[in-house]
Amino acid sequence: MGLERRNIDLEPAITDLRNRTLSRLPGDFSRLVYLASSRDLNTGHYSHDGLAFHFSETVASEAMAACHRQIFDRLVYASLEELIEELCNYIASTDERPEEFLKSWKHLGSYRVTIPSECDELEAEVFLSNIRMALAILQKRQKSVSQDEQSA
Amino acid sequence: MSQLLPYLFLGLLLSAVLAWWVWDAIVHRRAAEVLAPRQHRSSVRSIGLQRDLGERIFGPEDWDFVSSETTWEIHRMFQHERTVLAIAWLRRTRLQVSQVMRAHLAVAQHSEDLKLATEMRLAMSYLLFLVLCNSLIGWVWLYGPVRTRKIIGQTLQWAAQLRGAFEQLMARVDPASCRVVGANLNHETVRS
Repeated sequence: MGLERRNIDLEPAITDLRNRTLSRLPGDFSRLVYLASSRDLNTGHYSHDGLAFHFSETVASEAMAACHRQIFDRLVYASLEELIEELCNYIASTDERPEEFLKSWKHLGSYRVTIPSECDELEAEVFLSNIRMALAILQKRQKSVSQDEQSA
Repeated sequence: MSQLLPYLFLGLLLSAVLAWWVWDAIVHRRAAEVLAPRQHRSSVRSIGLQRDLGERIFGPEDWDFVSSETTWEIHRMFQHERTVLAIAWLRRTRLQVSQVMRAHLAVAQHSEDLKLATEMRLAMSYLLFLVLCNSLIGWVWLYGPVRTRKIIGQTLQWAAQLRGAFEQLMARVDPASCRVVGANLNHETVRS
């Protein structure tokens, strides 16, 4: 009963967050990174000034956490091909050079911080494994493109 | 004497599998605890997203993509990554079914409405499930999850049937604990 009540309270904040903020980002991976970067790694709380102004800091944080988990779930169950496409969209949305981005993500493991706080351990492992695969595939593609360019 | 040899061999094989299972359970107890799914708040996941992680791990889609689009190095990497995930998933499935069985045993000890034949059938199914699950872990470790996909599919069906039988029994013996067990299993893995 308590949880249902809380869900009802969160729904307007979730809708607001989706319509005003998340829909403007190019793809689920960008949304995942945005939500993860809005989280304080020390406390696990999310911050969004606009959302907190309209609702409250707690509701805003919980709404962001709920969206974070939903998007994470979608990416966990997306096929490897879809995940690669999502990752490509995200790389294209940043101003970084793809080869540097891929190298940095692979070496630093930056994608690890995109996992929501409350998620299933095995789901997280599946996600990390798929990201490692996606990065390796994209790096291979990138290398072959560079080699083609050099030979041309 | 020679007539007894097949039975002796079968007995030895079964003992070896069970011994390996006990060893595996002891060695990986900590890992199994980690692997046990956390209880989510109901708001955490929408019902539509409660899909089967087993299907995600063993599904043919990714392998079809990897085998057609990438090099052998990536194939090997994929096989390795999925083997690790598949074994973790099988261990979790085994752990979940074992938890249900333990819950059933705890309830059944206080029940006055026990049917010996049903209990024996259930115990046999459970034992066979454990043997199969452990054999599958070995198969996946040796041959990778791609080649074992069909057998896994059959195991999933079996696990679902086993879950149905457990739930029926639990509902009859103790409706309250049935709800708890159902919630644990519904989280994922064994889907009917």
